[in-house]
Amino acid sequence: MSSNDEPKVIGFLCNWCSYAAADSAGAGRYQYPTGIRIIRVPCSGRVHPFFILSALRRGADAVLTAGCHPGNCHYSTGNLIARRRFAMLKNLLEFTGLEQGRVNLAWMSAADGVTFARVASRVVTQARELGHYQGALRKQSEVPDNG
Amino acid sequence: MIINKSDIAAFLDSFRDEYRVFAPAVADGVSGYRILTAGSELTWQGLNTQRPPKEVLFPQSERLYSYEIGANGVQISAHYDDRKKVVFGIRPCDARSFHYLDYVFLGQEYQDVYYRKRRENTLLIGMACLEPAKTCFCTSLGGGPFATDGLDLLWVDLGDRYLVQVLTPQGKALVASKPFFSPASEADYRAAAAAEARARAQMLPALDLSRVKPWLDAGFNAPFWERVSEKCIGCAVCTYLCPTCHCFDLSDEAATDRFLAGVRIRTWDTCAFPLFTLHASGHNPRPTGKERFRQRVMHKFCYFVQNWGEAACVGCGRCVVNCPVNLDIREVLAQIAVQDAGAGMGQ
Amino acid sequence: MDKQEVLRATVRKLLQNGQVSLVIGYANGTLPLRTAPVFIRTAEEADLLVWNSLCEYNLANYLPRYANDRIAIVVKGCDARALVGLLQENQVQRDRVYVIGVSCEGVVDRRQVAALVGGREVTAVEESPENIVVRGRGFEKLIPKKEAMFPSCRVCRYGNPVLADITIGDSVAAGEDAFDDIAAFENLPAPEREAYFVREMNKCIRCYACRNACPMCYCKQCFVDASMPQWLSRWVGTADNLFFHLGRALHLAGRCVDCGACARACPVGVDLMKLNRKLIKDARELFGYEAGLDPEGRPLLGTFNPDDPGPFTIRG
Repeated sequence: MSSNDEPKVIGFLCNWCSYAAADSAGAGRYQYPTGIRIIRVPCSGRVHPFFILSALRRGADAVLTAGCHPGNCHYSTGNLIARRRFAMLKNLLEFTGLEQGRVNLAWMSAADGVTFARVASRVVTQARELGHYQGALRKQSEVPDNG
Repeated sequence: MIINKSDIAAFLDSFRDEYRVFAPAVADGVSGYRILTAGSELTWQGLNTQRPPKEVLFPQSERLYSYEIGANGVQISAHYDDRKKVVFGIRPCDARSFHYLDYVFLGQEYQDVYYRKRRENTLLIGMACLEPAKTCFCTSLGGGPFATDGLDLLWVDLGDRYLVQVLTPQGKALVASKPFFSPASEADYRAAAAAEARARAQMLPALDLSRVKPWLDAGFNAPFWERVSEKCIGCAVCTYLCPTCHCFDLSDEAATDRFLAGVRIRTWDTCAFPLFTLHASGHNPRPTGKERFRQRVMHKFCYFVQNWGEAACVGCGRCVVNCPVNLDIREVLAQIAVQDAGAGMGQ
Repeated sequence: MDKQEVLRATVRKLLQNGQVSLVIGYANGTLPLRTAPVFIRTAEEADLLVWNSLCEYNLANYLPRYANDRIAIVVKGCDARALVGLLQENQVQRDRVYVIGVSCEGVVDRRQVAALVGGREVTAVEESPENIVVRGRGFEKLIPKKEAMFPSCRVCRYGNPVLADITIGDSVAAGEDAFDDIAAFENLPAPEREAYFVREMNKCIRCYACRNACPMCYCKQCFVDASMPQWLSRWVGTADNLFFHLGRALHLAGRCVDCGACARACPVGVDLMKLNRKLIKDARELFGYEAGLDPEGRPLLGTFNPDDPGPFTIRG
């Protein structure tokens, strides 16, 4: 499979839990696909719905937002805000026809490398099965091919 | 000349190889001048379209040029459109609007090459308005339901056929090149004249705008502007749907699907938005809706007249019909026409 | 009771005794089927005010502009909820606004009327309690208001303003408050739903009339104009139009009061309420939340419940 066929998944990982979990996965040599590109944020509550919309618009095939387990947010309540916000966003996007599985939310703790590897694999595999995102939000090329 | 209605589809099809044919049509519930792929698709029954015909020459979004940086260095490609076009069924007010756009885009010193290439290769076949709407006010601005300004041909619906008035050498050549036309009779001309009289009689009386320009010349600081546009919500409906509004924005965008490539685009802009005159310093010379609405009226009915001798309005009525808050330019002009020229004003 | 007369008398008194310096209400428009927002400053001008089924604007939209003045405003039920929303968000000071509530039985939808007369020009309208009669060249048609009611009004529960200093008009019965339209759409296959929104987005001309008519959109700088980062292009096309509408809908999540002013302002008839009502339904069903009812209330997305649902969360 050429690199163009691989799905591009953007992962917004909170610094304290999920990013650390990704580090743990590395340290523990748990394998996860290279298709996931990680962006570290301070908290899952930092993830504005526009990050996700923008990722889809610009060529992501799926997006993962990951944070600490509810109740364990480093900032106490950031992930609880994120959960409500994510519910509204996911429902609205799927209402407009976005396939299920393209926007995802997961919780994990810092040492839980296994969970991160499994979640990342799952999201990338889902994205591969769904195929590249070519839906209504996807911006067609600014540059016309006929030059 | 005369052409039978039964020949219209064939007439439009006859352009297929050389010209793209634009005609009023509805797509997704919105009317505009759209490309016809077959003459039989022409089903338009209404007067004016909602979307203005300026977009045939001046699209809402347009790529000016793109660049790619590769092994051969920087490649820049300009994106012109000089394909031949026919705009069929354009109303006299809309046809006149191209005349105003020409002042702006085809000036003495500078010509907009994108506009020029589209404009040079466009034939305009007009359709007279037999039943103008109550929102039509072309006659207030020097136009009329059977006006011929800017058209190559003007067609008048006589029931089962159209009377075709030839207006330009291009129009004449077009008629000569197609087999559908036959000479008109005296009766045809009389019928058309009667239709024009009926159409004019149906319109609301023309506004007397003779006092507008002189008052605007002196009235920039008049208290009139404080309240007249209070209900305006500052959207772009009037400017985007106006056939003569022509302001645009340029933006540069990097490609989202490849590296080292990008494009410069031109998109319609509007003086109604605060950002239109926002300076980089943060200062805005038109800080509130009052200044911005004043600008709209001044540009169309004062500055354009100063620059080009005519008001930049064709009286099509789109702004009147579509304004979300029923801010009616006819009402504004009528109020201006009775304002005192006197104390409290001045540059 | 003639609500229009009571309204005019109320406003006359308010201006005569100097309680307010400005009243925002509805006046006759210059076209049939239109009223227009009117800004009244003298008692004599009170006679410009009208009340009928064409009072389609949400006048709360104008409130933030007059934050420093003592004003009165005419509100329908939904408009009053928007006013409550503005109070929640500290955009309006309660003691500076005299709220003239008018009980509302719904707004007539000009688009449906146009469809019912086949797009022919309407040149005159007459209204009676149950019907409107529209006239044009060579036609006259009686239309029961129920048949041309704005869709959100058909199911509206809040015809009686929830907040008012005076309420004009008898109490109106609540509608059934159903989201059948949204539920039915949810049951369509995803590709059909996407095709529907692509069609709607292709109509949009990015005039922002929807945003500008909405009382809850009051940001001095809208996300569409942000350049660092730039979220969407100025290019008017499906992807960027959809980004704008999804972005605006999400900014309204838990704040939209279903007044429909945006949809009525739209010149090309984009089905905006489909997006807004979906979020209203979700706010209600997922979180038991309803916008614009309690001036002391907290915003939906600014609060949380430890038991908020999260069935979508994926596990390892």
